[in-house]
Amino acid sequence: MSLIKKKRVSKKTKVSWRKHVNIEDVENFLEEQRLEERLGKPISEKTDEELFTVDSTPNNEIKLTSKQRRRLLLKQSLPKCFSMLQPHSEVPDPIIKRNRVRSKEERKNKLVKKIEEEKRSRGILKAKELQSQKDRKLYELKKANQPKIVEFNKDIWNSEDNTALNNEWIQNNTKNHTLRGTGKLLKTVPKSIQTKQSVIPSIEPPHPGISYNPSFVDHQALLQTVVQKELDIIKEEKHLQRVTRSMFSKVTAFERETNWLTEMSEGLDKTELEENIGDYKTINPPVKNKKKDLKQRRKQKEQQQAELARKAAKKEKRKIADIYRLKFLKNQIDKNEKKAEILRASRLKKVAENKKGTKRLSSIKFEVQEIDCSMPQDISGNLRNVKKRGDLLIDRYKSLQKRNILQPTTKHTRVHAKVKRFQKPGHKDNWKITIARSNKAL
Amino acid sequence: MVAKKKKKYSVGEGSQFISRRAALNKLQLSLNDFRRLCILKGIYPREPRNRKRAQKGQPGIKTLYHKKDILFLMQEPIIWKLRDYKIFNRKVGRAKAVKDFQKMRRYLDNHPTLKLDHIVKERYPSFIDALRDLDDCLTLCFLFSTFPSLPHIPRDQFMLCKRLTMEFLHAIIEAKALRKVFISIKGYYYQAEIKGQTVTWIVPHNFSFAPQPKQEVDFKVMSTFVEFYIIMLGFVNFRLYHSLNLYYPPKLPTTDVSESDKSLVDENIYVAERIAALNIPLTKLSNQTEEEDVEIDQFPSDTSAEDIEKAKQEQAKIKTLKTLFKGLKFFLNREVPREPLVFIIRCFGGEVSWDKTLFVGSTFDESDETITHQIVDRPNLDKQYISRYYIQPQWVFDCVNARELLPVNKYFLGEVLPPHLSPFVDKERDSYQQYIPPEEQALYDPSLRETLNEADESDENVAEEEEKEENEAEEDETEDMENSNEDEMQSTSKLQKHKLSVKPGQVYKEEPWEKTRQERQEYKLREKMVKNKHRKLYKSMMQGRRERSKEVWLLKKKRRLHEEQKTKQKSKAKQ
Repeated sequence: MSLIKKKRVSKKTKVSWRKHVNIEDVENFLEEQRLEERLGKPISEKTDEELFTVDSTPNNEIKLTSKQRRRLLLKQSLPKCFSMLQPHSEVPDPIIKRNRVRSKEERKNKLVKKIEEEKRSRGILKAKELQSQKDRKLYELKKANQPKIVEFNKDIWNSEDNTALNNEWIQNNTKNHTLRGTGKLLKTVPKSIQTKQSVIPSIEPPHPGISYNPSFVDHQALLQTVVQKELDIIKEEKHLQRVTRSMFSKVTAFERETNWLTEMSEGLDKTELEENIGDYKTINPPVKNKKKDLKQRRKQKEQQQAELARKAAKKEKRKIADIYRLKFLKNQIDKNEKKAEILRASRLKKVAENKKGTKRLSSIKFEVQEIDCSMPQDISGNLRNVKKRGDLLIDRYKSLQKRNILQPTTKHTRVHAKVKRFQKPGHKDNWKITIARSNKAL
Repeated sequence: MVAKKKKKYSVGEGSQFISRRAALNKLQLSLNDFRRLCILKGIYPREPRNRKRAQKGQPGIKTLYHKKDILFLMQEPIIWKLRDYKIFNRKVGRAKAVKDFQKMRRYLDNHPTLKLDHIVKERYPSFIDALRDLDDCLTLCFLFSTFPSLPHIPRDQFMLCKRLTMEFLHAIIEAKALRKVFISIKGYYYQAEIKGQTVTWIVPHNFSFAPQPKQEVDFKVMSTFVEFYIIMLGFVNFRLYHSLNLYYPPKLPTTDVSESDKSLVDENIYVAERIAALNIPLTKLSNQTEEEDVEIDQFPSDTSAEDIEKAKQEQAKIKTLKTLFKGLKFFLNREVPREPLVFIIRCFGGEVSWDKTLFVGSTFDESDETITHQIVDRPNLDKQYISRYYIQPQWVFDCVNARELLPVNKYFLGEVLPPHLSPFVDKERDSYQQYIPPEEQALYDPSLRETLNEADESDENVAEEEEKEENEAEEDETEDMENSNEDEMQSTSKLQKHKLSVKPGQVYKEEPWEKTRQERQEYKLREKMVKNKHRKLYKSMMQGRRERSKEVWLLKKKRRLHEEQKTKQKSKAKQ
């Protein structure tokens, strides 16, 4: 075994010396020394007395919660903003006697201090302090008067305010005049607020089949309705399928292309096209502004007049004939009117029917909630093993929609535009790569 | 000079409606604030008669509001509070961002609060109006009281819901206002009658909260509804408690409660728990008993005697219902849902208790010998007392719906229960408009049950009896004759006495058909008074009724014939 031969390098120049001489151990030693100076002796070299203290006082503290402990610590510790002023190394301050600016309190004369204390004890305060006391009291009063939780301590239907003004004898002008600036309602409440939006009851009577222990007949009836609804949906789906997707045959992309080509070139004679490539020819021949002569114009005029006369005569004749058709015409009018009446009635009926149902309040259509029912195997027959069906919250939400109180909506998630992100060159990049000179460059 | 051309959509439907976007601009509110305001004030979108005109010719379907409604919203003082909220949020957000927590705390401590009292008064001018719209309020509050705390919803809302619903239940218990109950797979349906208004609400089963992955329901919107309903329910409770002579924030009679019990926990929580137990009567303002429902004695003149009789019967039934469980003592096993049963039993005057270790508020132990019923929902029980019935919880519900104490034998421990029928079906209409087999009728009407049972028993004895009857037939006939003779004699003697006692002359003979004839005539006259507008509807209604009752009659007849045939076959087989 032979050691890998160290490559000999010349250390002739200052640069090459610095580059190839190994001074790591010296640097490490110096680094350690500096660290020790900064932080003190390493723990391994410290004595037990320096590390530990014997706690001789009994522990009488009340147990604190973790939050309280944290709070206490925070209270006792120095504010973070002072950390900059604190020495952060063990190296002693080179200036032993440092001058310090005394605080305002310290600078005060002893005599002044004594006088102030006396005044304070006698209750003579500065205007500023008095004001602050007053303000504090006011604030506390305000806080105390603020209701923390909602309070129900009056009968709102019995307490009648400004009843004297709600009199038919008092004019609107008077009312406005007296109530101005009082923050009370001047506007009359629209009636729609006090009437219900729909005739549908807020809690619809439950189908007897949704009992936790239903009778067989009721349960079957409920299942029947559910099945019927499902069948209707399937039928509708089938219809849509038939009308849309299955109406068209599927073709490949290539086929579609060829089809399009043949369709578009229908009626064009290929051979003819090829032959006539040579000379230019438009579809419409050039227009010539050919004038009519006088005779032609006279004839045209005569023809027009004759036509008009013929039409007028026909109209006159029609009038006379219509006198004999009066009965028939009357019948026809009656018939039309009757038809219109029926139509009107049916339209009214439809409007009345629509009033009962859900109205269209937004672009999204209201969808009826699915009927909740339990499957026969889920019915246990006792209260302990009831299987819950349906969410009451969804039930309420849909009911509000059904009664025209809420408009149907869908969850709207905003789609943010995709933004391309990149870092500015030179910002927060690796200095070793970009700024420090690499070894290779040397 | 030519008259100025009228601008399009400046009158008529085009000027009556305003789109949501325009309303937002007008009110200077964000969409969320606008939604909240509309829900609180009870203003809802409208459907116009002619959408094209209402949308001022714009295509598509837009959410439209009445312009007058929006103008009404404009002068609402809470709009300013909503704007304050916006500023408040901005301030708090800023303080948080710059980590000025002191400031943030200060802002949060005096946050703006919405006061909704005047809106309740505005939307429900009278107490009865509020009661009429209580269904939604109660159902939502009961639902929210079971929810855990959720993001975006104020935490105290759930607590308040819990408190107010419990208070409401106490009021119902004190007023004995409960009428119908129904256990469905969705939850418990309750119906109460307060001040002549029927109030229906649904209470979900235990552990009803289900997270919604699809976010079908907008929780924020629902919580806004609840925000308003809480205030409304609070004031309704206040009024109810005062009409029942109770203190409003409910107070417990402070007897038999040891100081140590009190000091163990927070006073508020202690009271809240006791009240949630539903088992302790609340203290009254005075010892005066509240006015009982006065017996009906005055009727509008146009109601017929039959109606009066019916109403009186109904009144009597309700009177018995109110004291249905009086004198009964119930004990609930631990597997039985406590809240609904305690509520129902206490509503009808029963005493109830449960295991002491289960929940606070139990009043007596299981070993108490005076317990009459123990409610159990398990197939068997090890230790049983002879002195009490062990019944399943459905008995309580069925008793309330039947308005009398049902025989317990069908509801014993481990028994297969009879079906739990809904009390919310219209029985009045069903009895003659729709065929109900006698077995089902018996479930609704207890008086029929006995006759049905007798019929069953008699069926078996029919063959024997028939033989006897043949023998006795001749004797019977003779007896009948004698009886009728005797009857006549009695009646004549009565008549004579009558003559003697008063004055000589002819007795006014009331012809039995005369009254019915008169009534029929009056009815026909009244029919004539039906407006032309409703005549056709009335006609078709009556015809439908006739057809349905005819069908019922037909089915009944078929059944009768079928049964007769059956008995005949039986008798033949026996022979």
